[in-house]
Amino acid sequence: MPRGIKPRLNICHMYPDLLNLYGDRGNIMAYRMRCLWREIEVAIHQVNIGDSVDFDRMDFIFLGGGSDREQNLMAADLAEKSGALHAAIEGGVPVLAICGGYQLLGKYYKTLTGDVIPGLGLLDLYTEGGETRLIGNVAVEVDLGGVRQRITGFENHSGRTYLGKLDPLGKVMAGHGNNGRDGMEGARYKNVICSYLHGPLLPKNPFVTDYLIACAVNRKWSIPLKPLDDSIEMSANGVMLKRLGCLF
Amino acid sequence: MNKARLFIALVTAKMLVFIIRLLGRGKGTSLPGRAALKIYPGLISDLSSRVSKGVILVTGTNGKTTTNNMIARILEAGGCRVLINREGANLINGIAAAFAREMDFLNSRAFDYACLEVDEAAFPGVASRVRPRCVVITNFFRDQLDRYGELDRTIALVRNALKEMEGVRLVLNADDPLVAQMGRSTGLQSVFYGVAEHGGVTHQGAAAREAKFCPFCGRELAYRYYQYSQLGSYGCPGCGFSRPDPDVEGTSPRRGGSFTQCRVRFRQGSAVSLEVPVYGMYNLYNALAAYSTALLLDMDPQKAAVFLKGYRPATGRMERFDYRGKPVYLNLVKNPTGFNEGIGALVEMSDTGLDVMIAINDNDADGRDISWLWDVDFEILADCQERIREYVCSGQRAEEMALRLKYAGILESRLVVEGDFNEAVSRVLGGDAGKTCILATYTALWPVERILSGYAKRDQTPAEYLPHVS
Repeated sequence: MPRGIKPRLNICHMYPDLLNLYGDRGNIMAYRMRCLWREIEVAIHQVNIGDSVDFDRMDFIFLGGGSDREQNLMAADLAEKSGALHAAIEGGVPVLAICGGYQLLGKYYKTLTGDVIPGLGLLDLYTEGGETRLIGNVAVEVDLGGVRQRITGFENHSGRTYLGKLDPLGKVMAGHGNNGRDGMEGARYKNVICSYLHGPLLPKNPFVTDYLIACAVNRKWSIPLKPLDDSIEMSANGVMLKRLGCLF
Repeated sequence: MNKARLFIALVTAKMLVFIIRLLGRGKGTSLPGRAALKIYPGLISDLSSRVSKGVILVTGTNGKTTTNNMIARILEAGGCRVLINREGANLINGIAAAFAREMDFLNSRAFDYACLEVDEAAFPGVASRVRPRCVVITNFFRDQLDRYGELDRTIALVRNALKEMEGVRLVLNADDPLVAQMGRSTGLQSVFYGVAEHGGVTHQGAAAREAKFCPFCGRELAYRYYQYSQLGSYGCPGCGFSRPDPDVEGTSPRRGGSFTQCRVRFRQGSAVSLEVPVYGMYNLYNALAAYSTALLLDMDPQKAAVFLKGYRPATGRMERFDYRGKPVYLNLVKNPTGFNEGIGALVEMSDTGLDVMIAINDNDADGRDISWLWDVDFEILADCQERIREYVCSGQRAEEMALRLKYAGILESRLVVEGDFNEAVSRVLGGDAGKTCILATYTALWPVERILSGYAKRDQTPAEYLPHVS
């Protein structure tokens, strides 16, 4: 880091008490450790039901998924914060939304019985309930900042998500992705990344983590990220790519 | 009953068991059952009705095998003939195989009890066939989510199955709200067991806690204290649902080197001392579940306690080996709660230096989704950097395990990735620390155990408690 600059990032972990399924907290761990290894200070703000939060002050917002009941509780609380979250997203705050959090940012979730549960409507996408769950390991080809990379993870969802005027996160190479039909996985809008991938996503796809960190850092300082030794990360990534037959 | 079909089903299953063993392809715990059920779907209900005093089902996330073996141990020591399904053979095929293996067409082997551990998802199918006398539920934690969907759904499956049954007695963990609710929500007569407040309880919630909300009204539960995970003394400020006063309650638990001990208080006021030769608080819960079941079946309280002391742990339940004078422990890990218990044991053991091997597979039986590793609190291990010399990561997902440890703050110089079990076991045994501990997921446990027993001696006499090795 250039002398005199002591970068410090504010991370917002939404509903850690509620959305503690599928190891999604590993995303926060990965983001935090990769900042600390670069001498970027990190403050984690845990926001639970009823807590107030200043999204504008945040450098990274993480929203995970949970079981149905927990997701309903989260949706009700987040609806009250929706205006501020909208402003933050439009202002370029990096956001990672996984699974249920991803669905919630969209327009609605239409259940199998035809009920329409409204989403926050912040992103141009919608989700429909499916008869079967889409479960299994996934490989996705993504293009982050002009570099083609392959991410891996594990999906487990019954909702089928369809994108409006939005780019997907990437192209499915193995697995189901958004809906099992159009070959797309996840969504991107400004500095928002949405994905169905647990695993969790960030630890074994360090280039996604670094992309999100770089987005946050570049909003305030123009300093490059120090490269790290990612041999363990990339070998964990490679094990699954190899198994799925998707290695470069 | 269709006698001809039953006969053919039994003969087929027995032949398959024989052939599978002859070929050395395993213990024959699933395929013979599947074949027998194909030939005669009524097999389980026909054969289970021959069990004279009743069928006991043990279900829940953790502790099924241990609790079931403990119950069988007490009943057998008390002179009963007990049919038991083998470790892990707890889906419908495995249970059919157990009946087909142990019983014959002429009904010449009379059983007093059948003790069956049943997978939560298979519970409705098994329960409707065997019409149990008593159902024991240990706890509900997240486990192999990709197979079952979510925990709420698993619990609903068990609850709905119980509602269909009449006259069944339940043995329930009072300290787990997800289990204790079954008393009220099914209306069935229940015996509750639990552990009283003691010096080791905590007042802080942990990350992997499952039950934050009242199962009846959805309000957030208030806790007076926690035993571990969501087990503790809870109450709902909304509808008044709270920890039932246990009928059988363990007090002042104490752990020794290789045993766990407590006093047991009955609702009536008398007390006995209980000791099991296994490690850990979770095993005390298993012991209390087994003990409560024995009392429900009218076993004498003093005798049941004595019989329980003679229980021996099954493979991979903190089983102890000896490698050239060095103790080696082998433990199964399958979900965050169990893994956290295992880590607690590592920290306690590490005082004289420890080498650790962790073997992670992701086959169906392990759970194909290994993201649960990120819900385990490995961060605790970062505080014992000096005492834990080396972590050998093995299995199909060895790299992911090493990655998890790296992000927990373990120095990379202490991490070794060795996917091959043979190499990994020999590496960890060759470590220079005073003790070795090996943790393995389900399908990794068996090959590791086989390799380990080639190098090291089993420390305890009967390694696996299998009452009917036929």
